[in-house]
Amino acid sequence: MARQRYHDGLALHQALPGRFLPFLVGAMTFLAALALAGGIAAHALSQRWTHGAGAVTTVQVPNPDDPAAANAGGASPAATRIHAVQDILATTPAITAAHRLTDAELRALLAPWIEQTGDGSLPLPAVIEVHIAPTRNPDNALLARLQASAPGTMVEHDSVWSDRLAALAGSLQACALLAVLIVMTVAVCVVMAATRAGLQTRRQAIALIHSLGATDGYISGRFSSRVGLLALGGGLCGGVLALPMLLAMSHLAAPFTATTDTLPTMGMEWRNPRMLLDLLPHALLWMLLALPPAAGLTGWITTQLTVRAWLRRLP
Amino acid sequence: MFRLHDVSYAYGGSRTAQAALSHISLDVPQGEFRWLLGPSGAGKSSLLSILALEAQASAGMVEILGVPVMQARRGALARLRRRIGAVYQDFRLLPDLNVFDNVALPLRLQHRAEAEISHEVHAIMKWVGLETRLDALPPQLSGGEQQRVAIARAVIYRPALLVADEPTNALDDRQAARLLAMFHRLAELGTTIVVATHNDSIVRKYPAPAIELAHGHLVRDYR
Repeated sequence: MARQRYHDGLALHQALPGRFLPFLVGAMTFLAALALAGGIAAHALSQRWTHGAGAVTTVQVPNPDDPAAANAGGASPAATRIHAVQDILATTPAITAAHRLTDAELRALLAPWIEQTGDGSLPLPAVIEVHIAPTRNPDNALLARLQASAPGTMVEHDSVWSDRLAALAGSLQACALLAVLIVMTVAVCVVMAATRAGLQTRRQAIALIHSLGATDGYISGRFSSRVGLLALGGGLCGGVLALPMLLAMSHLAAPFTATTDTLPTMGMEWRNPRMLLDLLPHALLWMLLALPPAAGLTGWITTQLTVRAWLRRLP
Repeated sequence: MFRLHDVSYAYGGSRTAQAALSHISLDVPQGEFRWLLGPSGAGKSSLLSILALEAQASAGMVEILGVPVMQARRGALARLRRRIGAVYQDFRLLPDLNVFDNVALPLRLQHRAEAEISHEVHAIMKWVGLETRLDALPPQLSGGEQQRVAIARAVIYRPALLVADEPTNALDDRQAARLLAMFHRLAELGTTIVVATHNDSIVRKYPAPAIELAHGHLVRDYR
């Protein structure tokens, strides 16, 4: 019955062959998936650099156990330089956390250099890791106050470096978005060209059924259903083909984007589909799932508009 | 029924426009049969194109089956086309559809049930004498057979207005007589029919009111 219903002379399997369009839409979907993955990876790295370990400021206090300067401005003058610095950091509003590295942490940090010199008795400064609220930067007054309490104290703002990396990640995200837009534009052009070629191939049949009372909606609906399905199929193929590559890239990127306790174990996840999908960021997984329907919808809408514009030539 | 008032029609682009019809006014009531006469180039096909909604008049007023065509929306024109049957000189059969599907096409576009379509197609094909050629493709048919298929497709949905351009050209005398008898029967049932021909002998043999054109002008409207 359905086969009979579509014996309307449009012969869409001839007008819109089932290989060319799905192949091109599949290739576009594959490229869009890669671009989206790049954008999401850049976003993840940006988040990590601006909010994570990359946003740490270090404060070095030489001779930490010496007496603090007499002109220190604290409410209750501290006995040692390190205590004076810690008091100031604790009362600075922009600082969310401050942690003095233990002796073991400090020696572990400096191990490559200390082992090279072979000298374990070097006097080491106290090092304090300071986390600063992302939207607030401590001003120069903090350094002045620290140096007034403990002359020679140094502050290294790692956030300058992380801000530059975040800017780079932002531009990478913009490039990824631009790539997706270009891919979508090319896909729309491909669908328009294929639809116009199909209309040209079947123009006599279209003119005839138009003269017999077929509405613009009927003709455009027949074309757009066919193109929408072909684009959906192409989108599914492109998405499925992109999946292994995205999984491999996610696996490689995991050490840079995941916390240490969630790092995947090489080899284990490949045998477990659930673990395999867990490798992908959730945002990327959802976008990957959304790509085929988006391809189908883009094809459907583009074809509707193309066919309706073409039919305007007919009286 | 249809009414034309001061209708002109030109084809081609704005710079190369050729006047095909000039200031035509006609009023043909429901259930009338009219011959459309005139030599080649008189404008018969242009007038039939306007009546079949295949072309739009350049000027004037066109009202078909009560619908003012110049002001109607595309959806209304599509619905109007389903009430108009047309037989073209070149038949316009779709070569990749068999005879059954070609004739069934108007009914399918009206979303009729397949059982009803099958019944109607078999009945009309029996009447035109091609009930054994339902599976044939148009290129496998003779000119006369193709013309009969085109006629069957035009009348299968009992249109309110039927326009035919030289419908007896490829038919023998017996088939032509059967066809004109059917047209007269359809007119009696309320279909308005306009048949273009330059075959004087057939007009003399089957007298009826006639519209005569020459050089795009209405010469006479015999009643």
